[in-house]
Amino acid sequence: MKKLDRLTVGGLACLAVLVVFALGSLVGAGGDPDAIVGPRLQPPGPGWWLGTDNLGRSVLPRVMEGVGTTLLLSSVAVLVTAAVSATFGIVAGYRGGYLNELVMRLVEVLYSFPAIVLAILVAAVLGPGQTAALASIVLVTIPLMTRLVRAAAVAVSQRDYVTSAVISGARLPRVLGRHVLPNVAGTIAVQGTYALSVGIAVEGGLSFLGFGVQPPQASLGVLIQQGGTYMIAAPWLILGPGVVLVAAILAINVVGDGLRDRLEPRETRSLT
Amino acid sequence: MILELDGVTVTFTAGPPLRRIHLNAMKHVSLAVAEGETLGLVGESGSGKTTTSRVALGLQRPTSGTVRFDGRPFPKRRRELAGRMQAVLQHPHWSLNPRMRVGQSVAEPLTVLGRPAGDAVTEMLEHVGLEASFAGRYPHELSGGQRQRVSIARALVTRPAFIVFDEAVSALDVSVQVQILNLIKDLQAEYGFSALFISHDLGAVRYVADRIAVMRSGEVVETADTETFYTAPAHEYSKQLLEAL
Repeated sequence: MKKLDRLTVGGLACLAVLVVFALGSLVGAGGDPDAIVGPRLQPPGPGWWLGTDNLGRSVLPRVMEGVGTTLLLSSVAVLVTAAVSATFGIVAGYRGGYLNELVMRLVEVLYSFPAIVLAILVAAVLGPGQTAALASIVLVTIPLMTRLVRAAAVAVSQRDYVTSAVISGARLPRVLGRHVLPNVAGTIAVQGTYALSVGIAVEGGLSFLGFGVQPPQASLGVLIQQGGTYMIAAPWLILGPGVVLVAAILAINVVGDGLRDRLEPRETRSLT
Repeated sequence: MILELDGVTVTFTAGPPLRRIHLNAMKHVSLAVAEGETLGLVGESGSGKTTTSRVALGLQRPTSGTVRFDGRPFPKRRRELAGRMQAVLQHPHWSLNPRMRVGQSVAEPLTVLGRPAGDAVTEMLEHVGLEASFAGRYPHELSGGQRQRVSIARALVTRPAFIVFDEAVSALDVSVQVQILNLIKDLQAEYGFSALFISHDLGAVRYVADRIAVMRSGEVVETADTETFYTAPAHEYSKQLLEAL
C-alpha cells in the first residue's frame, strides 16, 4: 500500500469534519435550527457563533443541518448514478453494436443540456423539492460517468483474461461481474467522487433558484439564497454556508484526484 | 481429426453502406489437426492467423465453409464445447485477471462448468513448474514467464482435447521462450492434447510443431511436415520467410 499524499489526507480530513458537523446536527449539537434565539440579523457572537438570520434564528445549527441535507442528497444521487452508469456502461462497452450506439446517443442527448437547464427542466416536470434535486443530480452526472465506464469497459473487454473466460464457457453475468466490473471499479469510484462534487454544486444552484430543497428545511443552497437578500447588511448569512460549500467541493475533488492517482494507472506496471 | 476447417472464408465489413469495405481475413482456408498433433501456423502480421484461431475456438463464425470438432459440426452454442478446447493467448500482461488470485484463475474453467476444483489447482500449478503457494498470489507479483505458465495451467485444468496457443511465447524473452516451449512439449507428451500453435516466429514453431501451415493475406499457401518445410519449402513465400530467419 502506497501512502496517500498530504493533499488527499487534507481533503479527507476536511470531508470528515463536514460529516461530523452534519451528524452533529442530528443529535442537536449547536442548537435547534428552527428556534429563535435572539434579535434579527446579529453578527457572530456568543450564543450565535455564526450570527442570526432575518428571523432571529442562529445560523450555526442551520448550516449544520444544511450540510447534512446537501451531502445526503448528493450521495444518494451519486449511488443511483453509479448503479445506472455501471450497468449501461459495462453492457454497452462489452457488447458493442446497436446497444452501444443506442446508449451512447441517449447519453449524448443528456450531455448536450447545460447542467442547470436540465435541472430546471426536471424541477418543472417533477415540481420543486428534494425529489427534483435528486433526479437532477442523477441526470446531470449520468452522461460523463456512463461514457467513462463504457470506455474503460471497452478496453477491459479486449483483454486476454476476458477472452479466456469466454473460451472456458463462462456465461455473460460471470464475465461482466467477475472480470469486467472489478476492473472498471476504479473508474467508477473516481468518477463517483467527482460526481459528488458536481451533485453538491447542482443542489446548491437548484435550491438557490428555489427549485430544489424547500424552506424551512435547510440546505446549503437554501441558506445561500436566503442570505443573499441581506448580503450587505448581514454578510455572515452567506459567508457561513458559502465557505462550507466551497470547502466541500474542493475537498471532494482533492480526494478524487488522490483516488485517481492511486487506482487508475496502477494496473500497468511499467514494462513486461 | 480433432479439428477440421473446410473451405472457411471470413469476411469483415466496415464503413457506410454505399462505400462499404469488404475484407477477406480468411479465404477458403482448409486445415486439419489430428489427435495428439501440433499444427504450427505461421505468417506475417495481418495474414489471418488470429482470425483462424478465433474460428477454431468458435469465437468467430465463418462467413462460409464448415468447421468440425472431433468429427462433428461445430455446435451452435459454443458452451457445449466448454472444457474440451482451451487457449493460451498472446499477452502475459493481460492473460490473468489482476483482481483474481492465481488459484481462482486456474480454477475458473472448472468453476464455470460447475465442477469442484479440489486439488486440481495445486496439482496443475506443480505440473507447470510453480509451487502450490502461487495459488494465493496476485498476477502483478508474477513475472511474464510465470504468468504464461499459469495460463497454461488454466488451459490444461479441464484436460482439453485441443489447445490453441496464439503467439503464446512471442512476448517473452528468448531464454524464457525456450523454457515455455519445453514445458508445452512435455505436457503434450503427458496429456496428449492436440494443438494449434500460432506464431510469427519460425524458430519457435519448428521446436514444437509436427506440421506447418503458412498463411499469407488470408490464404494457406503451403502445408507440410516440419522437416520437409524447413529443408525444402515448396512455395516461393515460404522460401522468403525461411531466408529471413
